[in-house]
Formats: sequence, structure tokens, C-alpha cells
Amino acid sequence: MLEIRDIHKSFSGEEVLKGIDFKVDKGEVIAVIGPSGSGKTTLLRCISFLEKADKGTIIFDGYTHEMGTISNRDIKKIRMRMGYVFQNFNLFSNMTVFENVMEGLTTARGIERNTARSKTIDVLEKVGMIDKAEYYPGEISGGQQQRVAIARAIAPDPDVILFDEPTSALDPELTGEVLDVMKRLAKEGTTMVVVTHEMGFAMDVASRITFMENGMVVEEGTSREFFSSPKEDRSRQFIRRIMRECEYTI
Amino acid sequence: MSERLIGILTDSFVKILIPGIKVTIPLTMLSFAFSFVLGLALALVQVADIKVLRQFARFYIWVFRGTPLIVQLFIIFFGLPSIGITLDAFPSAVIAFGMNLGAYNAEVFRSSIQAIPQGQMEAAFMIGLSYPTTMRRIILPQSFPIAFPSLFNNLISLLKDTSLASSITVIELFTTAQQIAARTYEPFALYCEAAVIYLFFSTFLTWLQSFLEAKLVWKSKPVTDAGKNRAILG
Ligand SMILES: Nc1ncnc2c1ncn2[C@@H]1O[C@H](COP(=O)(O)OP(=O)(O)O)[C@@H](O)[C@H]1O
Ligand SMILES: [Mg+2]
Repeated sequence: MLEIRDIHKSFSGEEVLKGIDFKVDKGEVIAVIGPSGSGKTTLLRCISFLEKADKGTIIFDGYTHEMGTISNRDIKKIRMRMGYVFQNFNLFSNMTVFENVMEGLTTARGIERNTARSKTIDVLEKVGMIDKAEYYPGEISGGQQQRVAIARAIAPDPDVILFDEPTSALDPELTGEVLDVMKRLAKEGTTMVVVTHEMGFAMDVASRITFMENGMVVEEGTSREFFSSPKEDRSRQFIRRIMRECEYTI
Repeated sequence: MSERLIGILTDSFVKILIPGIKVTIPLTMLSFAFSFVLGLALALVQVADIKVLRQFARFYIWVFRGTPLIVQLFIIFFGLPSIGITLDAFPSAVIAFGMNLGAYNAEVFRSSIQAIPQGQMEAAFMIGLSYPTTMRRIILPQSFPIAFPSLFNNLISLLKDTSLASSITVIELFTTAQQIAARTYEPFALYCEAAVIYLFFSTFLTWLQSFLEAKLVWKSKPVTDAGKNRAILG
């Protein structure tokens, strides 16, 4: 459904993505993991065209586009069917929770107000935020803001949702509520690409794991294979280190 | 104070106040409206990074902030006729003040737009909004409350600077005071009287500023008490 071939991206001469291939099928949850600085955020930003890749091909919904030369019109078309959840939520501060979700339906897609309203109520109920509908982002907690951001992303029923470390800006006691919402989405068959450091989530929820390091995909496989019998040394070391960190934090 | 002086002052008060209300205030409002639109346009082409227009905006701001206002007034009113463009004094003043303040307002708008976290713009793109819609719906509504105090300070400065229009024959508040001072040989009293009337106007604007700022506060920094917030909105 979404396929990326041979993405390259440099920042001021330094290559951050060194030819990444990547594929998501409908209904899959892919966890992208790897040490910080390995290029995970840049990968998501290139897929969503928030960053312009130097080279690469994107195949989405049957259409193939060269990432270096894609038109703004095609970018907008792809974004209309893609959700993005940011590390620091990025809710619109001038709008209430309700308006944040409505905006993508009414203003961006021209959906009629009553239809949009009932859709907004649906998704806010799904993330457990309906009783805060009239609040402004500055008046609710980080975990609540992220749940609203998820509602905003899923409201237009996108084909795929990209999550960039959705819980890493949150206090530890608030990560659970966000992960629970994401688990529920996964169970409903939402197609998701999740950059995360939450290994529990990756193990339980992701169908496949992409392990990145230094701008390259080191290993790719089903979640079970990856965690029980990683093929690469680098993956083994990463798993061992991150498991140790988990024990410390417990 | 002699009776004669008191007579002159009471007589002239209305004579000065009327062109103040009929000319100084419209001149201030029209020039400000022009500078507002111009400043916003100059700021938008800069943040949108439209190559040629951005460079034009930087050049424009450099010129208009780097030269005296009275010189700009003279060029427009006394200079342009020699290249075939003759304008009345009042429109000349509106254009000069508007173009001058436009350069300052451009900088106010630009910095207030840049104060909004980039992430909100990216989030807007990802829900499918175009760049202009994002500006209109998300960025400008948030940057306006930030720009507001500086814009209003510029408005108050403009009110006082309109007295320079007297030098290009606009019959406004200060021109009238000058005329009466010349006729009565009481420059001290009359210029003080003019000062008091300006002070009266600018004090009103300062009061208006704090009144409006209190109404805008919910947008720039969300209050924690949701109930209070909604009360302000409603
Ligand atoms: N806008 C940018 N300008 C310059 N360097 C960047 C930029 N964004 C990311 N980088 C660099 O690219 C590398 C990968 O970053 P990132 O994709 O954020 O990694 P990750 O999300 O895996 O932690 C890092 O070395 C980072 O410093
Ligand atoms: Mg990152």
C-alpha cells in the first residue's frame, strides 16, 4: 500500500538516509526502532514530504512518484490520505480540541459540517477525550494532547498513520494512556508506522520491526523473529542494551 | 494668566480640536490601515520565502526605515510633481505615512509569525491544509495577539507623527495651532494647548490598547482555568 525505494537524504553534506527501502501493507503495524540519530524521524519526514528527499521513489495507492521531483499537487493528494502524529503533539493552540479535529474534515476536505461533527465526536470518544472537547490545548495534559492529536490524525480515515515517538515527550505516567489508544487502533486494523523506543509496544503490537542504524535499515522482520532470534549482531546488541535500560527504569 | 490669554485659549481650543478630529484622526486611521495591509504583505512574502518578493521586501524595509519620514513626505508631495505625478496634500500624507509605517509593521508581523512553533504549520500541512489556508486559519490568528502591542505602539507614534503633515500644507491639528499662534503672538500657550490635545488623543489610544489587550490574552497564552477562558470567549 505504501512503498519507499532507495531514499537518500543529506543535511549539509552529511548523508542521514543512505538508501532506505521500506514497505507497509494494509492493516500492518510497523515499528521503526534504532538508536537516536539513526534517521528515523528524517525517514518519516521524507515519506510525508515535510522534508524533501534528495532521491527515492514512493509508491502509494498504486501511483509511483519520484521524491525529488514530485509536484505539490501530488504531495497534497498523498497527505490527504496520510496521518502524522508528532513527538510534541503540535495541536493548533488557537483552536479547541473539537476544532482541532474538525479542521482537517471541514476546511481541508470540505466535508459538510454535520457529518464532520459526528465524525469528530466518534474519534474523540475513541481516544477518550470527548469530555474535554471545548478545552484549548494549553489547558490539558501532554498525554491528553497526544490523544487529541491522534484523533485529529485518524478523523479523515487515512490509509496510513505515521507516528514519530508519540510518547517520548511525555512524563512516564502519561505514556500508558497514549499507548492504549494506539493498541486499540492497531487491533481495529489501522495501518501504522510507529517510530518508538517503547519495546513493550513494539513486541506486543507491531507485526513487523524495522531496525535502523546510521541511516540504513540493518534488519527487518516480523516482531517475533526480530526479538527472539535477531539475525544481525547490531540488532542483538541494540536489543540487549534497550532491555537492560528497561530493567533499570523498572 | 491674563483674561485675553484665557479668551484666546478657550477660543482656539475648539478651533484646534476640530481639525484634530476631522483631519488628524482620519489621517492616522487611513495611514495605519494602509501600513497594516502593506506590512502584512511584506511580512508574508518574507516568511513564505518567495525569492524575488522577499528580496524586494528586504530592500523596501531597508530604504523606508533608513530615511527620515519628513524626507519621504517631501519626496511624495514636492518631488513627485516634477516627474508628472501630482497628488493633493492629504493623500500624499496618507501614502507617505502608510509606506513608512508599513516597513515597521512588516517587521512586527514577521517576528510575530516566526514566534509560532514551526510544528503547527507542519501539522496543518499533514491534515491537508494548503500554505495560504494554514496562514489564515492557524498561524495568523496566533501571531496577531503577539503583534498587537507593537502594532498599537506604532499607531500611537503615528498619531503624533501626523503633525509632520503640517509641513506639506495639510490643515490638521498642528497646522491650525501654528496659524493661531502666528496670529495671536502666543506661541507658548498655543503649542502647549496643541500638546494637550495630542496627549488627550494618545491617552485615549493607550487606554484602548489595554482594553483590547485584555480581550486578546486568551489567544496568546491559554489560561489554565477553562471556565474562565470560555467566559472570555462567550
Ligand atoms: N533539519 C536538520 N538539519 C541538519 N541535520 C539534521 C536535521 N534533521 C536531522 N538531522 C540530523 O540527521 C540525523 C538523523 O536525525 P533523526 O532523523 O532525527 O534521527 P532519529 O529520529 O533516529 O533520532 C542526526 O544526525 C541529526 O542531527
Ligand atoms: Mg527522532
